[in-house]
Amino acid sequence: MKITEFVKGFMISVNTGIQHLFRKRMTTMYPETQNYPTLDMYAYDPRKGIAVSGWRGRHYLDMTKCTGCQLCYIACENISEAIEMVPLPETNYPQNKKKIFPAVDYGRCVFCGFCVDACPFYALYMTPVAELSEYDRNDLYYSPYELSKPPAVNPTPRAKEKIDIKRGVYDER
Amino acid sequence: MNTSTNLQGLPGVFEEEVSPEGKLRVSFGPQHPGSGHMRIILTINGDIVEDAIPDVGYVHRGVEKMCEYKTYIQNIPHIERPAIHDSAGTTLPYILATEKLLDLSEKVPERAQYIRMLLAEMNRMINHFYFLGILGIFMGHSTVTTWGMGDRELLIETAAMMTGARVTFSFIVPGGVRTDTPHGFEERLLKSCDYLESRVKTYKDYLLENPFARMRMENVGIIKKEDAIAFGLAGPTLRGSGVKSDVRKDEPYLLYDTVEFDVPSYPEGDAMARTKVHIEEIQQSIAIIRQVVGKMKPGPVKIPLRGQIRGKIGDAYARVEGARGMNSYYIISDGQVYPYRVRVNTADSRNLAIMRRVLQGVRVADVPVVHWSLDYWPVAADR
Ligand code: SF4
Ligand code: SF4
Repeated sequence: MKITEFVKGFMISVNTGIQHLFRKRMTTMYPETQNYPTLDMYAYDPRKGIAVSGWRGRHYLDMTKCTGCQLCYIACENISEAIEMVPLPETNYPQNKKKIFPAVDYGRCVFCGFCVDACPFYALYMTPVAELSEYDRNDLYYSPYELSKPPAVNPTPRAKEKIDIKRGVYDER
Repeated sequence: MNTSTNLQGLPGVFEEEVSPEGKLRVSFGPQHPGSGHMRIILTINGDIVEDAIPDVGYVHRGVEKMCEYKTYIQNIPHIERPAIHDSAGTTLPYILATEKLLDLSEKVPERAQYIRMLLAEMNRMINHFYFLGILGIFMGHSTVTTWGMGDRELLIETAAMMTGARVTFSFIVPGGVRTDTPHGFEERLLKSCDYLESRVKTYKDYLLENPFARMRMENVGIIKKEDAIAFGLAGPTLRGSGVKSDVRKDEPYLLYDTVEFDVPSYPEGDAMARTKVHIEEIQQSIAIIRQVVGKMKPGPVKIPLRGQIRGKIGDAYARVEGARGMNSYYIISDGQVYPYRVRVNTADSRNLAIMRRVLQGVRVADVPVVHWSLDYWPVAADR
């Protein structure tokens, strides 16, 4: 490398670095602002055979539609065996004569969503809830009642992301 | 009992030792000081590596065997896991081979093919930004690391908007893709592409012009053109040695014959040439994405498949150009719901073949740079 080449390259790279001092910060301040790419639920339309895009997070079970057909359980069987069919004798839903509902173990689930694709009765969805960490492993097991709670969408508003060639990618407050 | 002499060269059983001539045999890895999930047994003479035996297999998970007792759909999530930064490039050949077994290849809707191309090119860029980021930290250039990871995030979030997952998309299925593009997806993708195109120039200025980065990468880990062909290398490693070979051009799959793009290649064959190929490929992927978004027309994105799918009796082979090179799948079906045998061949295992030869004669401090620039990812190579 010639000395002129060295100096020129050095100046170019230092100049690029200095320009970056005037750009906005790319990092998101995580717990205050949350940057979910989408807030839609992942759902599947068995009649059309195609899904509706959304975030594949925690499941949502509609207990008024689930018939206990076990198809979601069969779909998950060889993927991660996260779904277990649990009997709930106290329930009284007319469509569910067997009184069994799916429960999901999030210690095992890989969030592939193929159980949602398998449900023929519009009973299973996936919600944009991704913060599932717990202190106890057993708390990761979600019973049908917990799954059927409407997803607690985080109250903090989603950060408005700006993509600007000059100033960088940043969140607008 | 002295086992170190007769078991020499056998990875796994060795002791660090100093030979009478003053050569030191040390283990590089596997606890990841820049070796990934593998170990290189280095024989060092002063500062020069005299021999390097790659010891692989730490992350073998038996993907091929697992494929034999899962149905065609259940295979998708675990097939993409070995290659987390190129999950579309790894599942795509499996899906293409499965579609051949189902006689679906001709029937996949046009829009589905375009969406698959979009995802594949986005994944190529995600992988290449990751490459630049890790290359930076292996050189001690941590600015590029944070930039690479940050720019990658933009694409990951765009992909997550459509697929619903950040890294393991499970998005391409036999018959098409799982969902149509959501509202505002194309707009955000094109915006990200404009932004990333400006970033490509920044990387060129900051990494390729930087004299210190050049000193670390130029004339380091040279692979000659003949060697690259003889060892059957793939992807940017092959193209960095001056061979213009790309499955997208040689044997177009999906609709790659309808878009125009270049195959960048540099004849030097050193770590710098391979880095340049990666940066150029980001630019080509942006060009492909722009053309594809312009060509996409509304329409169906999937042929609904009902019930369990069964392949016809026979076999099928498909190969695609993944981010790190040619990935291929060979599936034998005996008409059951499970494949009879699945053979996975990834570019990473091909690029591993030359590692011993390339590392001979480099300096110890250059080992991480050469190792990473070879585009070898242990998890995908071990499968
Ligand atoms: S998302 Fe996948 S792993 Fe999780 S419960 Fe459903 S099928 Fe099983
Ligand atoms: S959630 Fe759907 S697939 Fe699962 S048991 Fe209920 S109805 Fe059947």
